[in-house]
Amino acid sequence: MAERSFPLVPILLLGGLFLYAFAHLFAILAPFLLSLGLAYVANPLISYFEVRGLRRSVTVIALYLSLALCLALAARSLLEILTTQLSFLQTEAPAYLSHAERHLAALKLWVARKVPYGSQIAKKWDARLVTPLLEQAQRIPGYLLGLFPLLSLLFLIPFISFFLLIDGPHAVGSLIQACPSRYVEQALHLLSEVDEALGNYLRGIVIVAASITAASFVGLLILGVDQALAVALLSGLSSFVPYLGAAVGAVLGGLVAVIQFGTLAAGLKVVALFVGIRLADEAFLQPLIARHSVHLHPLAFLLALMIGGELFGFLGLVFGVPAVCVLKALLKVTWSWYSTEARLKPAQTLEPIPVPYV
Amino acid sequence: MLRFLKKVVYDSSLQRKISFLKGLELFKDLSHREISRLAHSLHSRTYHEGEVLFLEGDIGRALFILESGKVELTRRDSSGKARLIYTLGAGEFFGEMALLEQLPRTASATAVERSHLYLLYRSKLDSLLHSQPKIGMSIMTHLAQILSARLRRTTQMALFEAPQGSPAPSSEGPRPQAHG
Repeated sequence: MAERSFPLVPILLLGGLFLYAFAHLFAILAPFLLSLGLAYVANPLISYFEVRGLRRSVTVIALYLSLALCLALAARSLLEILTTQLSFLQTEAPAYLSHAERHLAALKLWVARKVPYGSQIAKKWDARLVTPLLEQAQRIPGYLLGLFPLLSLLFLIPFISFFLLIDGPHAVGSLIQACPSRYVEQALHLLSEVDEALGNYLRGIVIVAASITAASFVGLLILGVDQALAVALLSGLSSFVPYLGAAVGAVLGGLVAVIQFGTLAAGLKVVALFVGIRLADEAFLQPLIARHSVHLHPLAFLLALMIGGELFGFLGLVFGVPAVCVLKALLKVTWSWYSTEARLKPAQTLEPIPVPYV
Repeated sequence: MLRFLKKVVYDSSLQRKISFLKGLELFKDLSHREISRLAHSLHSRTYHEGEVLFLEGDIGRALFILESGKVELTRRDSSGKARLIYTLGAGEFFGEMALLEQLPRTASATAVERSHLYLLYRSKLDSLLHSQPKIGMSIMTHLAQILSARLRRTTQMALFEAPQGSPAPSSEGPRPQAHG
């Protein structure tokens, strides 16, 4: 039997170099990673038509043309909705502000009367709470302008995804062809594990985001809350960061409801709605997604979010968990490979069967 | 015009792949759509002359289907010398036991000329078993039949041919088991 050595040192060196380069080039790589995510989510749809004999490139072009047509048809309606909501905000904003001022004044009075040392807190109220809030409010246009570079991603990401969808399988084929012949099976093992973990996680999170958007929109409409579509969309988009979607929906929707109806009970109803959505997600969607995805310990999950957020900000929160899914798949394959090549664990053995073959 | 449109829209390479796979014993009971699904799960690679596909003792993880070219299966004897046990040609497959168990390969495989192979990786078959049980079931049934035929042949050889000092099987003879 020919001996073969496990290339542990080169693999560790390559892994270290890759992580170093990744950390330094994250800003450039971010659109590519987001595009990769989009391509992963769209890939089952492309495969569905590919299996039916259609060319991959034709299917991708047809998908993009269909989406463009849908967007063009929806653009007029979207513009109308946007105009209506903006004019509504323009007319209702002074009323909202006076509502907010009244609530703040009532809160200040309540604190002064009921809370220990309340009168001292109330004296410092304007300096400690109102002034910083006003300062932050003045910065809102700046924050909104800061979002404009992100709008370019709306064009860049579908553009990159287009090529990833068309050429993705060729790239994988080229990778397998470039792999040293004896390591092809290991390379396939690695690709299969990463593909399974990443694909299932990304498709799962898109299902969660769509479900949260739909459920919160319907719930807010039933409760009669204004700006239901905007709150539902923000809540759905935020759910790409695990656990954030329902929290954003509860806070934003709750604030809108309190200001709109002028009672705390209205805000609490919205909070209860989002708690219900979160629980339903945990009870029905998560088990379905986790069954096909990588199982992460809750602490690993939390650590991934914290490290991702600390190193790369908001995008780090989005990519933290999928990155850990990939890392876990890599470690699993490397360990499986190392343990069998280094003979750390015995090969699978079969029980001898005494009955002869008849 | 219609023919041109069909040529542009339909993937002719997939059709060729399906036609080739349909001719294999392992997939003979599968419908066109099922073969198409299976073809989608296969990876392909071209091996140049002298390239080693796997070595005796490696843990097997994939089934190899030879579309074109030639691959030699060799096994080391007690003296450590490599002995040719079979030469595979186009349309034959090997390493199928890797789909059933994770045991070391019992032979080495080397391309003796430029060869194009399809690889069915174990976890892809597992996915097919879950998502398309009929495809997985059909492949598993044929694997069991192949295994049974080989076992019958081995039993026959052990009982009737070995005592008379039969020579090692040649490349022209029936293919011995070379599994993963």
